[in-house]
Amino acid sequence: MTEQLRKRMARSAVIALAAGLGLAMTGGARADEDVWPSLQRDVFDSRPMTENEGIIQIDAPERAEDAAVVPITVRLSPSFKEPVKSMTLVIDKNPAPVAATFTFGPAAGTVGGERRMSTRVRVDSYSYVHAVVETADGKLHVAKKFVKASGGCSAPAPKDADAETAELGKTLVKSYAPAVDTTPLREGQIMIKHPNRSGMQIDMESRGYIPARFVKDIEVKSGDDLVFRAETGISIASNPNFRFTYANAGDKPLTVTAVDSDETKFSGQSAKEPVSQ
Amino acid sequence: MCTPAQLQVITRPGTEETQTVAGALKRSVSRRDLLVGSLAFSVAPALSHFSAHADAIMAFTEIAPGIFVHQGRFELQSPLNRGDMSNTSFVVGTDAVAVIDTLCSAKLGSELRAAIRAVTDKPVRYVINSHMHPDHVFGNVAFKNDDNVEFIGHHKLARGLSARADTYLAANKMMLGDDAFAGTEIVLPTRGVDDKVTIDLGGRQLTLEAQSVAHTDNDLIVSDSATGTLFLGDLLFSGHIPTLDGSLRGWLSLIDKLEHYKPTRVVPGHGPHAMQLPEAVGDEKRYWSTVATDVRRMIKEGKTMSEATKIAGQSERDHWKLFDQYHVRNVTAAFAELEWE
Repeated sequence: MTEQLRKRMARSAVIALAAGLGLAMTGGARADEDVWPSLQRDVFDSRPMTENEGIIQIDAPERAEDAAVVPITVRLSPSFKEPVKSMTLVIDKNPAPVAATFTFGPAAGTVGGERRMSTRVRVDSYSYVHAVVETADGKLHVAKKFVKASGGCSAPAPKDADAETAELGKTLVKSYAPAVDTTPLREGQIMIKHPNRSGMQIDMESRGYIPARFVKDIEVKSGDDLVFRAETGISIASNPNFRFTYANAGDKPLTVTAVDSDETKFSGQSAKEPVSQ
Repeated sequence: MCTPAQLQVITRPGTEETQTVAGALKRSVSRRDLLVGSLAFSVAPALSHFSAHADAIMAFTEIAPGIFVHQGRFELQSPLNRGDMSNTSFVVGTDAVAVIDTLCSAKLGSELRAAIRAVTDKPVRYVINSHMHPDHVFGNVAFKNDDNVEFIGHHKLARGLSARADTYLAANKMMLGDDAFAGTEIVLPTRGVDDKVTIDLGGRQLTLEAQSVAHTDNDLIVSDSATGTLFLGDLLFSGHIPTLDGSLRGWLSLIDKLEHYKPTRVVPGHGPHAMQLPEAVGDEKRYWSTVATDVRRMIKEGKTMSEATKIAGQSERDHWKLFDQYHVRNVTAAFAELEWE
């Protein structure tokens, strides 16, 4: 298997299932087994990583009440001032472990406070969540957190199936007004109505899998400047939701463009007036 | 071993106390006789030692003529309670019997069926599911071989349950253990209710009305023409914290409508055998209103879902059983719905 294919498989269970390898990928992940070393090899080319430096913190519930909607926040300590090139969020034991890879642009902001990225993920079985941060100098930093949850990937997403279809693609973008105008970082949020079907949800009537359909690429800009680009997979919960810090450069519009695995495009822009907190 | 199905509990309308009657299937006691309070009371004391094994008895209360309700415990499914944690009812007409909800395993479904048989020989023609959740559906299989039986649910029930089948089966097997779960399989409705369906049991009709999204997207309300009893399924929780798997806004607007209904009595999906409107929905309305108000305020303040799960609705903690088991999940669902407003 080529490295390229391994990486793609780590991101997409669709390929794994289509190739009949779904079990090969998940079956290896027994509860007591540490799959991280193999992920380090497949996803990060066995590049060295430093851990427990106190610069990355992952907030996640110890026991997730809803395995299909597990809120995760990755925080970078304010004392850590290196520019960040990318951040990869990995749910080790998920069938498609790489939930998202964020590549940050000039509008992501650097110094002047805590940098944060929050999203909601699916957790398929008790697993470590890893956040791997690549700094501009090419070094990798990692932190982990154990989450107890199960069944998140095969759980049927929409509670109201018809509304979900009717509203697919509805996009909300929020720019939160900073507490102080001069603060270097402010917060933004993007929300996309999308079932993000994992390909692991079963339709009992047809005895088959409901085809995967998920948001795969997201680009967020502040004015004309890139905040981040994200490659996302089926480990992101339905109705993908990202809340993040970015450079405070006045009330420029925050825009998002996204495309899903069916090549359908979605876009949205923040309101003229930022959301006051 | 199976729980002895010959242990039944039946009470007369108007009595609060539930009496334990063993030997329902003993030849010396006719099934019909068990409906007679005096006999039941006279038999009970001799067998009172069985009450120590309450989990091995399926207790039914006749809340109105021909309407029998079993009350589930306010617990999560476990090997110990064998999944006896939701209400089930059956309605007896002059021609046929209808079951409303079938508990969460094949074994409990069989015990439910045995309890019906202890009361009447009329055929079970209708198995109605108030919604798709396992604790209301998984006992359907016990009625699969009944002659001419129809399984009826909201027209969206089959889709919702199908999509969740594997998850539900695996989760319940894990929670109940192999023994209590044995034989359980999913039996989908053979007839879907689009809007309203009336079935005739002989001497009484049941009207089944499909609801908009509330507790789930496939809630059904059943009303009995003979006694004015309304079966609300999990649209009504009392004592047991309500759980949200549909729409908070939808549920609150349905509660507003229910407050104006004037049935003789309502039967909750989790709670006492019978209650009165509008009081019955009071606690539930307060809970969801509080969650909605708190979550909306926190969204407006720019707070995150994680923050909301720690704060929203915490004032309700002391009012409900199983608060710690379900509340955070409810807030998560409420937040994910209301953040789109």
